[in-house]
Amino acid sequence: MSTQSKNDEQERLKLLQGTLDLLILRTLILGSQHGQGIAHAIQQTSDEELLVEHGALYPALQRLEERGWISAKWGVSTNNRKARFYSLTSAGRKQLAAETTKWNRFAAAIGRILESEGS
Amino acid sequence: MFARFFGLKRKAADFSAEIQAHIQLEEEHLREQGLSPEEAHNRAHRAFGNVTHAQERFYESHRWLWFDHLWQDFRYATRMLRKSPGFTAVAVLTLALGIGANTAIFTIMNGLMLCTLPVRDPGQLVELLHHQPGEPEPGYNGFPWFAYQIIRDGNHVFSELIVEGMNFFTVRGNELEPQTVFGGAVGGNFFQGLGVRPAAGRLIGPEDVHMDSHAPVAVVSWSFWKSRFDLDPGIIGKKIIINDDAPLTIIGVTQRGFYGLSDEAQQVIWWPVSLGPGGDGPFGLLARLKPGVSLEQARVEMAVVFQRAVNAPDAGPFVKGMQLRIEPAGDGVSTPLSQMLSTPLMVLMATVGLLLLLACANLAGLLLARGASRQHEMAVRVCLGAGRCRLLRQTLTESLLLSLVGGAVGIFLAYFADLALVRVFKSGRLIAAAPLHFEALTNPDAHVLLFTLAIALLTGVLCGAVPAIRASSAAPASALQQASRLGESRSRRLFGKSLVASQVALSLVLVSSAGLFVGYLSHLQNLNLGFERKNLLLATLDFAQSNYNAAQFSRLSQNLVMRLDGIPGVSSATFSGVSPMSGPGPKAFVFTEGHPEKRAQAFINYVAPDYFETYGTPFLAGRDFSARDQGGSTVAIINETAARDCFGNENPIGRRITLSHITWVKGERTYEVVGVVGDAKYSDLQQAAPPTIYPDLLQQGFTASELAIRTRINPDAVVRIVRRTEAAVFTGVPIVRIRTMNEQIDSTIVPQRLIAMLSAGFGALGTLLAAIGLYGLLAYTVARRTNEIGIRMALGATQGNLMRMVLQEALLLVCVGLAVGVPLAFCTRSVTASLIGNLPASIVEPIAVGAATIVASALIAAYLPARRAMRVDPMVALRHE
Repeated sequence: MSTQSKNDEQERLKLLQGTLDLLILRTLILGSQHGQGIAHAIQQTSDEELLVEHGALYPALQRLEERGWISAKWGVSTNNRKARFYSLTSAGRKQLAAETTKWNRFAAAIGRILESEGS
Repeated sequence: MFARFFGLKRKAADFSAEIQAHIQLEEEHLREQGLSPEEAHNRAHRAFGNVTHAQERFYESHRWLWFDHLWQDFRYATRMLRKSPGFTAVAVLTLALGIGANTAIFTIMNGLMLCTLPVRDPGQLVELLHHQPGEPEPGYNGFPWFAYQIIRDGNHVFSELIVEGMNFFTVRGNELEPQTVFGGAVGGNFFQGLGVRPAAGRLIGPEDVHMDSHAPVAVVSWSFWKSRFDLDPGIIGKKIIINDDAPLTIIGVTQRGFYGLSDEAQQVIWWPVSLGPGGDGPFGLLARLKPGVSLEQARVEMAVVFQRAVNAPDAGPFVKGMQLRIEPAGDGVSTPLSQMLSTPLMVLMATVGLLLLLACANLAGLLLARGASRQHEMAVRVCLGAGRCRLLRQTLTESLLLSLVGGAVGIFLAYFADLALVRVFKSGRLIAAAPLHFEALTNPDAHVLLFTLAIALLTGVLCGAVPAIRASSAAPASALQQASRLGESRSRRLFGKSLVASQVALSLVLVSSAGLFVGYLSHLQNLNLGFERKNLLLATLDFAQSNYNAAQFSRLSQNLVMRLDGIPGVSSATFSGVSPMSGPGPKAFVFTEGHPEKRAQAFINYVAPDYFETYGTPFLAGRDFSARDQGGSTVAIINETAARDCFGNENPIGRRITLSHITWVKGERTYEVVGVVGDAKYSDLQQAAPPTIYPDLLQQGFTASELAIRTRINPDAVVRIVRRTEAAVFTGVPIVRIRTMNEQIDSTIVPQRLIAMLSAGFGALGTLLAAIGLYGLLAYTVARRTNEIGIRMALGATQGNLMRMVLQEALLLVCVGLAVGVPLAFCTRSVTASLIGNLPASIVEPIAVGAATIVASALIAAYLPARRAMRVDPMVALRHE
C-alpha cells in the first residue's frame, strides 16, 4: 500500500462540496459499514484518486443519519473491534437514486461544456 | 430521526467513542501494511485531522448554536453588569426613563387614536359632523330628522347611513343598582351595518325601529353581561329601565370586545331609536362608504347634499352658512377626549422620541468609556482566538440587556405616569363628569408591549453599536501596548465628544420647547378675561329631582343670594344659566329693531341681578336688572361687542332686539336693552370675547343651575357654609359640583397644561442627562490625564490654569452643542407652532433661557472634574503608572 504512487496526499483530489454525502450513500448500498471502512471504500473505489478527510466524514455521517437516510448501530468489525456500523434506509435509497441522476446530469453537462470549449 | 423527535439525542461521548474506534481501526490497518506502531499511530491521527474540530462540529450540529452563544453572552453580560452596579444602575435608570416616557405616551395614543373598531371593514366608516365657519373643528355630530332624511335620500356615496345618539343614561332594573352608563339609541341598521354579531340572543334590527316610537327592547354589551349578570344566559327577556322611561326587554348581547363607536367612552347598552320629527333627535350619523368611493368623492357630493338640508324650510336661520365635514371613523368617532388630545399627544410623542435619543447618546458615551477601559481585556481575548464577530455580538448583548431591563422598568414607570396623566385628563371639562373608560388608556396591551420591546431593542443597538464595533476592532498588538501607556485614539475621543455635544443640542431643543409651552401656559393663566378670576366660587345645582316652579325659584334664589351675601368673607352672589368657561352655552341669532338687514350671532346667558358685580365685569352704560323688572317688559343686557355688532355707534339703551333661539329650532323673543357691559370671555380662553346677550333670568320662567359667589377670602374657606346655606334654602336640590373659577379655567386648558407639565419634566430630564454625560466625559478625561496633569503641575501650572483647562473643554463642547442645537430649536419651534395654534412662535426667550440653563448646568457638571484636576498631587500623579 505504501508503495502506491498516489498515496501522496498532496496529489489526491479534494472532494467537491456536497459530493461526500452521495459517495457515502453509494458506498453503503453494498452493505453496512463503519466510518473507517467507508473512507477506505471510497478511496479504493476511486483508485485512490479521491481524498476523504476522515475528520470531515463523521459530521457528514451524522448529518445523513439525522436526515434519516442512513441508520447506525454499534457492532463488531471483522478484526473484532467495536465500531459503529451505518446502513442505508429506504429513504436513503431513494435519495441515492435521485442524487445519482442529478449528479450524472450535472457531470454530463459540465463535460459537454468542457468538450465544446476544447474542440 | 425518531430519536431526534423523541429527544433521544446522540451523546457527544458516543461520538467520541466512534472517533476513537475509527482511529484504532486505521492504526491496525496501517500496521497490517507494515508500518511501525508509532508511525501507524501518527499517520492515523494525521489522516483523521483535527479530532477536537470534528467533535466541535458534532456538538454544534446538535444545537441552535446561536442560542447557545446567546446564552453564553447573556451570562457573561449579566456578570459584567453585576460587577459594576453603579454603572448598571445609572444606565438602566437612564434607559428606563427614556423608554418609559415613550411607552407612557404611546399607551395613551394607542388607547385613544390607534385602536381600530372591531367591526367589518372599519376603513369604510366615516363620521358626519357639522360646524359653523370660524368655530373650532371638528364640529358636532348631531342632525335633526329632516337633515337625516335629506342626507339619507340624497346621497350616492354611502352604502349605509347609521343613526346613533350616544349619551349617558341611568340604568336600573330588578337586580340592578342604578348606574350611570354610556349608551345609545340606534337605528335599525346599526349592528347589521357595522357587522357586529350577537354573543347571545339577537341584536336590534330594522323591525324594532318605528316612526316616533320604538319596540321596547334593548341590547347590552358583553362586558355589561359579564359584570352585571355574570354571563347568565337568562339575561334574555330581563327588563331594565333607562332614565325612568318604560321598561325595556333585553333581547341580546353584542359580541365580546365591542364597546360601541369610541374606545374611551365604552358603551354598554343600546336600544332602538325612535325616528321621525318627534323622535330622539338630534341624530348622530355614521356612514359606510360604498366600495370604490373615496373620502374626497364623498366630501364633494355631501357638501352639495348638505346645502339642501341647510336651506330646507324646517331649518332655522342659525344654520345658514353651516358646513359639513366627513371624517374617517374606522378607529372610533371623535370624542371630547380624542379631540382634545390628539395634537398634544403627537407633540409629546416627538418630545419623548428626542428624549430617548438623548438617553441613547448618553448611554453610548458611558459604554464607550467603559469599552475604552476594557480595551486591554478585548485585546487579550482577540489574542486568545476570539472571533471579532463574537466579540461584537457579546458587547452588543451587554447593551441590549441594559436596554431590555431598562424597558421592563420603563413599562412600570409608564404605568404610573399614565395614571397621573389620566388624572390630568379627568380635570378637563366635558370629561370630568363622564364615566369614560380610562383603563384602556393606562393598561398596556399587546401593541404597547411590542412597541416597548421594539424601542428597547432599537435603543440597545443604537447605543451599543459604535462602542461594540470599537471594542471588537481592537488591534491586539497596539491595544496591549497602549493599555500599559495612556491615551486613546483621536477618533475615539472625538466620537465621545460629539456624543456629549449632541446631548447638549437635544437638551436645548427639549428645554426651549418646554420654555415655549410653559410660557404659553402662564400667558393663558394671566390673560384678561373680562371678569375677575380670583376668589370666585362656582356651584352647580341639580334641579332634576325637585319640582320648583319658576316663581318659587325666583323667590328662593333671591333668598339664597341674600343669605350668602351675609356670610362673612362673601361679597356677593348670583345665579346664571351658564358659568363662563364651562363650555359653550346656548347660541342665538339677534335681529335689531330698525335694522332688519343686521343679523348677528350671539351667545346667550340668562343671568340674575348682581351677576356683573359678582363676576367683576364693568358696566359701560345703562343699569343692572332689578326687582322692578319682574312683571315688566323683558329686558337684557348686552356686551360691548354685541352692542357694536347690532347698533354700531348708536346708543343701544332702550332699543329692542329679537333673539331667534337655539340651533335648528324656530321661536323668537324680544328684549329691551337696559345695559351694556364690558366684553368677557365666554367658553374659550384663546378666542376673543364673542357677542353676548344676557337676558334677565328671573323673567324667563325657568330655573338656572349655576351659582357664583364672590369672596374676599380664599373661596375654599366658605365651601362648607355655602353648601349648608344652599341645602337650607333649596330642599332636595343638591350641589353636584363645586369648584373655583381658577379650577374651571384650568379645565379648559388641559392640553396646554399637559404639554407644559410634561415638556418641562422632559426638558429637566434632558438637561440632567446631558449634564451627566458631560460630567462622565470630563471625569473620565481627567482620570486618564492624571499623569499629564501631574507633569503640568510639576512644570509650574497653577490650579487656576488646570481648572480653566477643564472648564474650557466643557465650554467648547457646550458651544458646539449649542451651535447645532439653536438652529434645531428654531426649526422645532416653527413645527410646533404649526401644530398647535396660538403659540407665541416669534419670541426668542425660551431658546435663550434654554441655552443659559444648559450652560449653567454644564458648568456645574464640569466643576467637579475640574476641582479634581486642580487637586491632583503632582508626586502621586507622576507615580501613577
